[in-house]
Amino acid sequence: MSWDMAVKEREDGGSGAGAGMHPIIEAKDLVANFYTYEGVVKALNGVSLTIPHGITFGLVGESGCGKSVFVRSLMGLVQEPGRIDGGELIFYPDPPTEDAPAQGVDLLKQPESYLRRLRGDRISMIFQEPNAALNPIMTVGEQVAESFLFHRGRGMSEKIAADLDAGGGRTPGPVKAVLRVLYGMSARNPHARVLRFMNRVPVLKRWRWRLLREALDRSAELLGRLGISNPEAVIERYPHNLSGGMKQRIVIAMALACRPVLLIADEATSNLDVTIQAQILDLLKGLKETEISSVLLITHDLGVVAETCDRVGVMYAGNVCEIADVRKLFRNPRHPYTHALLNAVPKMAQEGPLESIEGTVPNLVDPPPGCRFHPRCPNAGVPCREVFPEMREMGVGHWVACYFPVEEN
Amino acid sequence: MGPFILRRLFFLIFVLFGVSVLIFGILMSFSPERRAAAYITTPQQAKDLPRLVQKYGLDDPFYIQYGRWVGEVASGNLGWSLVAAQPVWTAFWMYFPVTLELNLYAAPLIIWFGIWLGTRSAIHRDDWFDHLSRVFAIVGWSLPTFLFALVLLMVFYGYFRIFPPGIIGDETALYIMNHPEAFTRYTGMVTVDGILNGNWRVALDGLRHLVLPVTTQVIVVMALLMRVMRSGMIEELSKDYVITARAKGADDRTVHLRHARKNALIPVVTVAGQLVAFSMEGSIAVEVVFNRQGMGWWLAESATQLDMPVLMGMCLFMGLVFVITNLVIDILYAAIDPRIRLV
Amino acid sequence: MHVDWEKHPRLRELRFTLIKIFRNPTAVLGGILLLAFAATAVLAPVIAPPRYPDSPYRMPRKGYSPIPKPPSETNVFGTTSGQYDIFYGVVWGTRTAFKIGLFVVGFAAAVGIFLGTVAGFYGGLVDELLMRFVDVVFAVPTLVLAMAIVVAFGRGLENVMIALALVVWRNYVRVMRSGVLTLRDQEYVQAARLMGVSDVKIMLRHILPNAIYPVLVIATMDMGSMVITASFMSFVGLGAPKGYADWGQMVALARNYIVGPPEDPLRFWYTIVIPGGCIVLFVLAWNLIGDALRDAFDPRQRRR
Repeated sequence: MSWDMAVKEREDGGSGAGAGMHPIIEAKDLVANFYTYEGVVKALNGVSLTIPHGITFGLVGESGCGKSVFVRSLMGLVQEPGRIDGGELIFYPDPPTEDAPAQGVDLLKQPESYLRRLRGDRISMIFQEPNAALNPIMTVGEQVAESFLFHRGRGMSEKIAADLDAGGGRTPGPVKAVLRVLYGMSARNPHARVLRFMNRVPVLKRWRWRLLREALDRSAELLGRLGISNPEAVIERYPHNLSGGMKQRIVIAMALACRPVLLIADEATSNLDVTIQAQILDLLKGLKETEISSVLLITHDLGVVAETCDRVGVMYAGNVCEIADVRKLFRNPRHPYTHALLNAVPKMAQEGPLESIEGTVPNLVDPPPGCRFHPRCPNAGVPCREVFPEMREMGVGHWVACYFPVEEN
Repeated sequence: MGPFILRRLFFLIFVLFGVSVLIFGILMSFSPERRAAAYITTPQQAKDLPRLVQKYGLDDPFYIQYGRWVGEVASGNLGWSLVAAQPVWTAFWMYFPVTLELNLYAAPLIIWFGIWLGTRSAIHRDDWFDHLSRVFAIVGWSLPTFLFALVLLMVFYGYFRIFPPGIIGDETALYIMNHPEAFTRYTGMVTVDGILNGNWRVALDGLRHLVLPVTTQVIVVMALLMRVMRSGMIEELSKDYVITARAKGADDRTVHLRHARKNALIPVVTVAGQLVAFSMEGSIAVEVVFNRQGMGWWLAESATQLDMPVLMGMCLFMGLVFVITNLVIDILYAAIDPRIRLV
Repeated sequence: MHVDWEKHPRLRELRFTLIKIFRNPTAVLGGILLLAFAATAVLAPVIAPPRYPDSPYRMPRKGYSPIPKPPSETNVFGTTSGQYDIFYGVVWGTRTAFKIGLFVVGFAAAVGIFLGTVAGFYGGLVDELLMRFVDVVFAVPTLVLAMAIVVAFGRGLENVMIALALVVWRNYVRVMRSGVLTLRDQEYVQAARLMGVSDVKIMLRHILPNAIYPVLVIATMDMGSMVITASFMSFVGLGAPKGYADWGQMVALARNYIVGPPEDPLRFWYTIVIPGGCIVLFVLAWNLIGDALRDAFDPRQRRR
């Protein structure tokens, strides 16, 4: 769907989300570089971005503009040869309550073990290519169940221990007694040394059987909720037996398993057929209502943004150039890049030829000084070539990094 | 499953046929008198070669001779081995256990160490351990087996006098000869027989003689496995599903061992055939240098003494091993990779 | 001729590959070793003037005593069993090693590249028959098959070389063919075909230059491993005759002296370690270069 229609459609029902909301993610001056053979690729050049709680935030930009690096840094998953070289990345797991202000943690300062507990539990991610994102030699069920096993081991063990206690009037056999002890231990600490040891020994690791069964049951139940018919059969299958849309649902299920506060969808629908894309977007929209509080949607598709997002950030060549509520941005883009980007997409009411942006995306090994967009910018002036423009608020909640913004219409 | 087994059976027949024609063709360049040796069954007959050429029609065209040979093999007659002074078939069962024993010890070590080292190197890429094991792999790859065996023998037998060559020591051999009632040859493998007879002395002596041969075999053959494992693992670790697993909150151990390693084993299975071939080649050098009368030793000895029937039989045996290895590889593939089914 | 390195994409890639290889310290080490060996081989008549100019590969001997003599002024590396001069043997053995490697690999690679390209490009019955034949040849390990051929042809270094060449071409056919198969259906090849470019030209201009890299890697590695196999055959007595300047044969000469007298068990170390060390270093040099080539050609590792 073209974005102008989508914006029009949402005109009435759209919530006035945006300014004044509590943040869930606050990035300050985030710098990330990739150390490659050709030189240092300056992928993120001091990105500052606030993502509010409880809305769907869209991050748009051409491929290679740094949006994927940004979201991966949120998860602590920036891969070699990339490195985060500066800035802060503050995560607020809970919105503030009346008697307590929100507690923020700087993700960049946290040890790997903290991030590991966070990933998949509080923050989850859906990937671009469902084919590649699934392990080809593990069943779908095993892969979804992992999310539960990593983060819900304690709860599941408690349940199994309780089940064992309640297991009928018969006197428990010795095996059951041992299992009861083990699950009791697991309920207290799923990573106890004894249990870790047992998990490595071929015969002894069978004690986990009930736990795995429970995780698989929960997976099947989750798949059912995501609209997959016959989930008990699906969890036994391997990824190569499933269709693309089905695989993407599985990927979503893995991310949703622990009901994260923030769901990151990295080009989650880009490689799917248009009909399946629509289904997945609808699914995400529905889930946003029921399961998760905040969604960060990464895409290069403005139509998707217009349809699903409440607030949008636009990135260009490693910088954020404009942040605004979706309606404001589409109605009234202030940054020349955003303006050009919107003009380059066909609209329903399209008249005349499409405009294109002159020039090419800069090489990030040797980016232009000052504003990285200035070589392609029609408004560029002297300061643009020297100093990068700071973000300025132009209108409520409308932030633009430009010395010579496009006039308000 | 049915068609799969049938296809494999056909492949076996095809390979054995091809190998035998090939080797038969190569050996046809011998003079008929030399080839007459293949039909000698008793030492006395060796004196009367021209009559044997006549009798067995060694001047006949290729296909007639080949047909005759196939008939002989089918009835269980593989010819007479000059080196062993026994029929090839009987001699085979004498030499086979020695080689089997060597590889029964070496193979698990090769597989275990190779996979472990390769995995470890790939996970901690470019650290000191990785560099060390890569140097180790490339040096092991460059070491001629026979030379390495000689140097080991020089140091551990010549200098330290701990690990002697041979299969068992003279004293132990004498002991077995003097107590035939106390020692039964169940398998022909010294250590296994020692254990089966409850005779620790023999078993330990056999083990002592195996240390250097097994070490040589492991170091030389492992290099390939380690390398394939390392590069396979590096490739898998860069794939998207690894990031997915991390994004789910998987710890390193789960990511490496449960996700990546199992996928990385697929290319390893591909080189299994090469590993088996290397092991067989390695066995020849190891047995020659350490003076262990196994199949490799027999083959080298037969080659120098122009013992044709042995070469012929050995090549058929290699063909058989080749087909079995391929069968095992296919089954392993299907076991590891659900995308592959045996049809 | 002026070569514009920046213009032609293939030259640019080649330059990148060379830079990549020379940045790799192990490859540089391999290159230095190889240069040293090559210089020794070329300058052999200068370094060790032959005593028998008609047959320079015959090692000069000083008597017939079977007991090796340690390094001295006249024999820098000592003499091995039979009083053959080790230094002379090592120097001329370098030539032998290059001879073996270049002949075997040259023959095998030429045959393999030709058959692999043609079979892969045209497919069909020829391809099927050829590949089934390769299957059969693959069923027998290199060493065993080569031994059988040497037995049939008779002993001697030439026959060892011929036998190895007749065995290892199979590897090149397989590698080349699989490379050609993946390239054959690429869009750019299809485009060339649609434009009416002749088959020969497509193979030479579009397929061969892109499919050759894996062949180069295994050819480099085989330069070493063929020397290993040949030296083992010499060691068991199938290859070079006694007194021939060949490293494997020299190790064989010393075989009975690996263990010295009880009071000095390592007395004759030089008889094994010097020629053996030459084999190892020669093979190592090729393998280091082959390894670097593999890394440099690997598209996944290239741009790191």
